[in-house]
This record gives sequence, C-alpha cells and structure tokens, in this order.
Amino acid sequence: MAMPREPVLIRSIQFGLVAILFGTWWFVTQSSQKLMLLLPRPELVWREMQLLWSSGRLWAAATITVTEIVKAYVIAVVAGILVGFLVTRSKNLVRIFEPMLAGMFAIPLTLFFPLFVVFFGIGPDSKIAYAATYSFFPIALNTIAGFSSVDELYLRAVRSMGASSIQQFRHVYLPGALPVTLTGLRIGFFICIASVLGGETLAAAAGVGKSIALSAELMETARLYAWIAFVVLASVVLNLLALAAETRSERE
Amino acid sequence: MISIDHVSMTFVGREASQTVVALDDVSLKIRQGEFVCLLGPSGCGKSTLLAIIGGMLRAIAGTVNVDRAPVNGPRPNDIAYVFQESTLLPWYTVLDNFRLALKFQGIDDTSWRDRAMHALSAVDMTQFANHYPKQLSGGMKQRINLARGLCVGTNVLLLDEPFAALDEQTRMVLGEDLSMLLARTGKTIVFVTHSLAEAVFLADRIVVMTARPGKIKAEINVPHPHPRSPDFMLAPEFGKIRNELYAILRDEIRATVARMREARDARG
Amino acid sequence: MTEMSNTHVRLVRLALIVGLIAIWEFYARFISTSSLIAGPSDVAMAWWPKVMGEPRVRTAVGITLIELAVAFAMSVVFGMLIGILIGLTNIGRRSMYPIVLLLYGIPQAIILPLFVLVFGLGPASKIAFGFSHGIFPVIVNTIAGMRNVSPHLLAGSAAMGASRAQQVRYVIFPHMVTTVFAGLRLAMTLTLLGVILAEIFVSQGGIGFFTLLYSETFNPAALMALVLTLALMAIALNELVRLVEARFSRWKD
Repeated sequence: MAMPREPVLIRSIQFGLVAILFGTWWFVTQSSQKLMLLLPRPELVWREMQLLWSSGRLWAAATITVTEIVKAYVIAVVAGILVGFLVTRSKNLVRIFEPMLAGMFAIPLTLFFPLFVVFFGIGPDSKIAYAATYSFFPIALNTIAGFSSVDELYLRAVRSMGASSIQQFRHVYLPGALPVTLTGLRIGFFICIASVLGGETLAAAAGVGKSIALSAELMETARLYAWIAFVVLASVVLNLLALAAETRSERE
Repeated sequence: MISIDHVSMTFVGREASQTVVALDDVSLKIRQGEFVCLLGPSGCGKSTLLAIIGGMLRAIAGTVNVDRAPVNGPRPNDIAYVFQESTLLPWYTVLDNFRLALKFQGIDDTSWRDRAMHALSAVDMTQFANHYPKQLSGGMKQRINLARGLCVGTNVLLLDEPFAALDEQTRMVLGEDLSMLLARTGKTIVFVTHSLAEAVFLADRIVVMTARPGKIKAEINVPHPHPRSPDFMLAPEFGKIRNELYAILRDEIRATVARMREARDARG
Repeated sequence: MTEMSNTHVRLVRLALIVGLIAIWEFYARFISTSSLIAGPSDVAMAWWPKVMGEPRVRTAVGITLIELAVAFAMSVVFGMLIGILIGLTNIGRRSMYPIVLLLYGIPQAIILPLFVLVFGLGPASKIAFGFSHGIFPVIVNTIAGMRNVSPHLLAGSAAMGASRAQQVRYVIFPHMVTTVFAGLRLAMTLTLLGVILAEIFVSQGGIGFFTLLYSETFNPAALMALVLTLALMAIALNELVRLVEARFSRWKD
C-alpha cells in the first residue's frame, strides 16, 4: 500500500499548508489596513525578531525563563521519583496515595498560582514553585505506575535464584519500571515549560512570558508576534526531538 | 531428599470472607532422585505446596526439610524453580539471563558461559543464545527456562506446570525431552500438573490431592523405568494407571466445580 | 504483608487529610508570624460573607462556569468535526496529524495576551482560550477512534454484507464516539485550565479581578477561600464527566 511517492506527497501537503498560511497572512496585510493593530505585516514581525535577537533582549529573557524551567524540573524530578518509588514499597500505600495524587492532578493547578505569588512574590520563585508542583504529579504518578507494573513473576523468579535486594532492584525493578517512568518525565517536562511560561505571563518581573504580556499591554503587536514566533519555534524543535527520542527507544 | 511434615497453609484476604485454607496437614517424603508429580483439580493447593517446598512461601504450620536442612526461604544452591510462565527477563538476552541466574547464586567467574551453552545444548537451543525472549516462541522459552533450571546445578528441581501455557503438541515433545533429560541427571524432581497423561508419563510416583482445602488423597506408583519413550503411552499399563487416577480425581473435580458455581451464584 | 480492607484504606486517607489540615491550622495559628499565611479557620471564616457571600464574586464564578460550558461544548463539537475531516483519508491523516500534535505541544500561555487583544476583555476571550485548549485532545481522540476500530469488527460486518457507508455508520462512528467520550475528562480539564488561565490574566473583571484584589490587599484567607471553592467545583465537574464517561462505557470489559 505504501507507494514510494507518499512521503513526498505528505511533506508537500504540510509545507503547502504552511505556505498558504503565510501567503494569506502576507496578502491580507498588504491589502487591508484595518487589521494593522491585530495582525501586523510579516516583514515587521520579522524585523522585530531580528531586533530581539541582536539587541540581546531575547537572550536575557530566555535565560531567566530557562533557568526557572530547569530549577523547577529538577525539583519535580527528584521529588516525583522519590515519592513515586517510596509509595510503591507497599500495596497499601499505593492504594491510599495514588487516587489522591491522581485527583489532585485532575484539578487545573493554575487556580493556585495566585497563592504562589502571594507567598513567593512576583519574582522567579513563584514560577519555580508553581511549575515544580505541577510537574511533580505526572512524574510521581508515572513512577508509581512504572514500579507497580513490574511483574511479580520476575521478582519471584529472581528471588528463587538467590538475588539480593540490590540485585532485584538493578536487574528487575529498574529496567521494568523505566519505560513508564520515562514517559512521566517527558510529560512532566512539557508541563513544566507550559507552567513557567503561564506563570510568567500572569505575573512576573521578567522572562519570556512577561515580555509577551508586556508587549500586548503596550499594544506592540509586531513585537508580540515576534516573541510568540520564537517560542513556537523552540517548542516545535523540542517536540520533534522528543518524538525522535521516543521512536528510537521504541525501536529497541 | 525432601521431607514435608504436617504442612498447613492459609491465605488471608482483604475481607474476612476472602480467607482461604489452601493446605490442610500435608505430609510427604520424597527420595533422592525420585520424580514426583503433584496432581489435583484447580485450586487444590498443589502450586502452593510447591511454593512452600521452594521457600517462596512460608507455611503457617509444619516444616519442610530439603537435604536435612529446613526451608525458610529460597535456597538457590539447593533448589531450582521453574515457573508456569517464562521468567526470562525480557530486557536481557538468553545468555545474559543465564549469567544472571548464576550470578544470583553467587557464581561470578568465567565458567558461566560454558555452563550456559552446555545447558542450552541439552535442550537444543544454542543458536538462540543471543536472542531476546520476545523473539522466541512459548515452547522455545520454556525449553530455555528448563535449561536455566538445570544449569544452576541444584539437587532439587521444582516445576510448576511448566507446560501449561503451551499447545498440546509442544507439550508432548517437551515432555519426552524432559523425561530423557532428567533420567540422566539423577535430580530429585517435583512436578505440578493437572494433566493426567503428563503425570503418568513423567512421574515415578503421583501424589493426588483433594479439592480445597488440599490434603493428600492417594499416591500411585508408576514403576516403568526412565527414560520413557512415547510408546509408553500406548502400553496397557499406562491406560490402567490413568484410569485409576481419573476415578480418584473425578469426585474432587466435581467438588471443585460445585464450589465454583456456588461462589459465582453468591456473587450474583 | 496483609492488604487493608477498602474501608480501612478510605479511613487512612481521611485521617491523612484531617491530619494535614490540623497541621496547617496549627502552623498558621501558633507558629507562623507572617500575615501571608492563612489557616483553615481563617479561610472558613472568610468564605462567607466575605467571598462567596459577596454577590459580585458569585456572579464572577457563575460567568466562569458558563464560559466553561460553552468552550467545552465547542471543543467537543468542532474537535470531532476537525478530527473526522483529518482522519477520513489516509493522506489527510498522515499529513495533518503531525501538525496537530505540534500545535498541541505549543505552550498556549504565550498566545493568551494575543487572544485578549483580539477578543477583548469579556467572556469571548476566555471561551476562545478554553476552546483552544480543549479542542486538541478531542481531535486526537477522534482520529484515534477512527483508526483503531478492531479489524475483526470490520471484517465481521463486511461478511454480513454491510456496505462501506453502513460500516461507517454502525461500526466506525460509534467506536469513535466512545473513544472521544473516554477522553472527555482530559478535554474538560484542559478547557477548564484555559478558561481559568484567561480569567486570572484578565484582571479587570471576573475571577481575575478578585484574585488580584485579594492578592494586593494581602488577604490570603479570602484568596484561598475563592481558590478552594473553584477547586472543589473542578473536582465536582471532573466527577460528573467521569460518571458520563462510565455510563457510556458500560459495554466495555
């Protein structure tokens, strides 16, 4: 069924769509003046992008944002895996805690962001705390799922052969739990990014989200689009990398 | 030799109604080099008894001695255990699985590779040494599991319905190979099954258990010498023993089915 | 290790929650000197009349719920439509689905200010933002539901003489709908996320006005009261959707 031409056709459709999108954008802004405020000309947006890059403002804001993301993620990973692993030490613990964690994750934790701002102020700490809290959940939940899913059968077999606790952990638990746990780490990562950016947009002193909110407030739409473009590009690259990593690990 | 003295076992469930008496005062002596089959209807406790012999479970009453030492937990140097489903770790190759089995036993020198290949050749699986378990069929995996059980060089080999998940033809072939293999090693073997034919073909002695709570109902000897060829299944001796087993078991099977129906109706 | 009975588990959970609230109260009342920490008793006292007793707060919460309902309904309807259009053809799916996934992966907080610029400070921007969040899981589930119909079912119906149109109507479409329903909770959570994010961002009115007010007047008790009320509503909504999901999945094993 797969003809050799198909991937080419698919790529053409995809690039075609993107081209149509940009084409329409360019065309609309050429002819109509009315949308100028909401939809600036592509050339203007491109110029702003170059300006942000060369003036260093992009890097200044990005540094702040990325630092927040990294700090929050590290906290979430350490806490999430630790808690997740400890909970799976007993079936009773899993039955008590897993539904609680799952329930808390189901609430949009964005609701609690204003509380973080009240406690931690408007600086980076509130974003780090908020993002760490939010991404903690999928990591912990997936770690629990991963370690719970290790087949008892393998543990019994390995124990019957005389494996020590450390050997059981290294040769059965860890490899068995790894796939699901890694998925949790991936989900947690993207939630961390979204949370930091969300927090910065809502209330921050600096950072990419803040710059976006500020340019909107000042009605500097070309610059707003420029910022958005950078984030979209970064996000697309990250997603493609994550996809590539996933397909490669699946192949093994 | 294996000595089982007045072993009883109860499983406590989450709710009081789920408590189950699996074994009720079971005693049995197994000689060195003997091949014993534990046979009985589903839920009669035969797998539980095997797990207790192997140190995977602790009985709430009674003792088990293997080679004159009590069994309080797994004894990897004396007892090898082969499970119903393949326990080859899926994230290692066949060969690495053997290496690990020996490492868990405490053997960490360079002899592992020869021992592993030797065991694999006994079951005709050397060409799959570097394969991953998921690349192998069920029958192949169980051969390898068997080989792993032999490779660790224990006196006692416990097998918990190792062929249950396989189709009948594979079972027959593996059963023959098992008979030949084990005749040469002189190990003491305890084999759990609920197949009558399998029990008669393989065992020196068949221990028939009652429906839950499990007790020993009868012991039948099969005096035919090992190794046994498939022709043994056509011999009149075979049919006679098999029919005898069926007669003994029939009531127990009926009782088990009746209890299952009762439980199902109670659940509504 | 013996397993606890179900009631036992629930009791332990309850005890944990009560214990945490007690520790919180103790800390807030006796240990913390900061005016930024409010204990459960302060929150409870602030709840009525200061927060939910205030009619403007109630109106804001009510409007939020309406925005949520509209955004959610739109997500489901348009999500299924777009999903069907994309999943209808092999080419369509293989070319469009990756684009959908890439869009899904963009942190949407960055387009929130743009949405507000375009749609204004009223309910429209909140509905739009909730819609843009909730539509993606619906699209993804619709496409998945169309793809993973069991080939056995298709073969069986074909053997009984069903035409392609009949297969679509009686096999593929119902299967797709159940898959969408299975993902309804996620759609609801995300839609709510979008609406709340937009509400908090637009601090000129709605819930955002009050969160800002309570923050700036250093009134953590009132803020917590409001937030917890919304959180409880979110839980209730989640449960509701889960019940709907369960009702529609009764045939599943």
